[in-house]
Amino acid sequence: MTLSISSLVVGYGKKTIIRQASLDVARGEVVGLLGSNGAGKSTLIKAIAGINRHGAGSISWEGRTDLSSLPRRELAKIVAYVPQSIGLSFSLDIREAVLLGRTPYFGAHPREEDWRHVEEAMRLVGLEELGERAVTELSGGQGQRVLIARALAQDPQVLLLDEPTSALDIRYQWQTLNVLRKIARERNVAVIVSIHDLNQAARFTDRVVFLHQGEVLAAGRPAEVYSPELIRKVYGVEVELAHHRGFVQVHPLEEEAPESFAPVEAIPFPLRPAPAAATARFAQTSYA
Amino acid sequence: MTSSAGTGRAGGPRLAAPPRRDRYAFQNAAIALGLAAVVFAAITGVRVGNSGVGFSDVLQILWSKLTSNPPTDRAQLQAHNIIWELRVPRVALAVLGGAALAVAGVLFQGLLRNPLVSPYTLGIAPAAAFGASIAIVLFGGSVHGGPAPLVVGALFFAFLNTALVLTLASARNLNPTTLILVGIALSQLFGALTACIQYFAEDEVLAAIVRWTWGSVNNSAWYQVLVLLALVVAVFPYVRLRSGVINAIAFAGDDPAKSLGVPVSRVRLECIAIAATLTAVTIAFTGIIGFVGLVAPHIARLVVGANHRFLIPFSAITGALLLIVADSLGRLVIAPGVIPVGIIDALVGAPIFLYLIITRQKAVE
Repeated sequence: MTLSISSLVVGYGKKTIIRQASLDVARGEVVGLLGSNGAGKSTLIKAIAGINRHGAGSISWEGRTDLSSLPRRELAKIVAYVPQSIGLSFSLDIREAVLLGRTPYFGAHPREEDWRHVEEAMRLVGLEELGERAVTELSGGQGQRVLIARALAQDPQVLLLDEPTSALDIRYQWQTLNVLRKIARERNVAVIVSIHDLNQAARFTDRVVFLHQGEVLAAGRPAEVYSPELIRKVYGVEVELAHHRGFVQVHPLEEEAPESFAPVEAIPFPLRPAPAAATARFAQTSYA
Repeated sequence: MTSSAGTGRAGGPRLAAPPRRDRYAFQNAAIALGLAAVVFAAITGVRVGNSGVGFSDVLQILWSKLTSNPPTDRAQLQAHNIIWELRVPRVALAVLGGAALAVAGVLFQGLLRNPLVSPYTLGIAPAAAFGASIAIVLFGGSVHGGPAPLVVGALFFAFLNTALVLTLASARNLNPTTLILVGIALSQLFGALTACIQYFAEDEVLAAIVRWTWGSVNNSAWYQVLVLLALVVAVFPYVRLRSGVINAIAFAGDDPAKSLGVPVSRVRLECIAIAATLTAVTIAFTGIIGFVGLVAPHIARLVVGANHRFLIPFSAITGALLLIVADSLGRLVIAPGVIPVGIIDALVGAPIFLYLIITRQKAVE
């Protein structure tokens, strides 16, 4: 194992969000982080990225380096983080936006080497033709690719993504997840991606980790870990599992929506009868 | 493994051909041309006036000063005094003040990730106005740079305001929204305190306070030029050196910038303190010159783009040009009378800004 998280505790003030979480991720592996809203997925990812400092526990890299003891700049050369959205306040062209990923490597003046990494990262995510366009002109999927390219430009060995597909349509969701698999395999990067869609997690990740109330509830290959009981405990819904082309699939067991979401009975629209004159004109026009 | 992820590690990327070397040719050319324009505008600005001093006189006097060869005849000596003691410091203060306010504006906008903020967003101007008002009440109504109490009063309260904003916002890690809200609260507080002084002041004092708030370089002095020059020379190269991390905060946001290795709170504290100092010192000498700190960065962004490596120097150039032009027009429009630069600045800058917004809408968005 390369990235090893052991008994990690993370909190904000007096509130503990992550409780004794442990997980391992190997190079070239894509691990899906699953759990309901508020389970602690983003907090865990930000702790690994060094954005939030953790309390107890350790995050080690290849059994030797305690990542939390590294200076921020050195950590950024190993671990890259992709936020949910690009959130720009000012217009910037794509190449410049990807160049931000080289911030840990240069001061004010990017070197030729930095530009080479930018071009390579853009090629990997299929942005090479769009380099001069402003980021503000891009679709959600293209914006997500810019963020991934920015992270790749960091030349990381661990890539962390916080719900990268939450705002994308199905095409871009698949594209993004495929890109992640490709990056993990081709560049030998350990990838952790938090994701809501259980079926996509089963299809695109090698292993999944279920977080529940800040604790790791289960971890392993989706086909081995997914169970109606686990999903009921984590999400509070009844499901049944099926298998298709070797992948496990999750289907809702209850055909009807929960009672609180049931549509209200149709309210009759208060139709007003058309004025007699208008009806008469219509009749004349139609039958004249 | 603590070493950085180099290009040679297993599974590392195959690197593509490098991009064009002249990627920033336009920005570099724009900065060079801008600097030339500032020099030309400054010499033209020194020439503007009613004493009949020509362009060649200006060059001759500047040359004689540079070569330590003072004029001998009386007419030349008079021209020398007008230019060297009145106009050069005036134009130099406009150049340095415009550049300082513009760079402060760039820093505030970038570090607070908000294109609508200006050097005055954190309440520096109302605080300085309060300090100036107290000085005017206590030491008399002579304004704009002459008496030291006025400068010291404005400077003291501008720094006090900045210290209060940074201390209070530190409780929330200098979060941009907190900084802006604390700034607004202190703006209101110092604005109300100044209004109290104005309400109870006599007409002469009231007029002096109001004149100070218009902003002007009418009473510029060499010591002001030298202080501001020292500040600009010390600060600008440093700020430009930090342009990479400022880019990360401005364009990526706080959390992603941290993941890019940037100590966000430290950089924000450092650069806001610098921007606040530039603003405080400038307005202590000139009074409140609005607009340039808000608009010069936007104009510069439309020309050279949003990368702070080029935006910082080009904003300085734009701010300097705006104030030289505004001051020169202010001396010409109702000559021999003078309209304060703070008023003309907005009258000149607003149409330029509107033109750029309409013709280059996409760049603004």
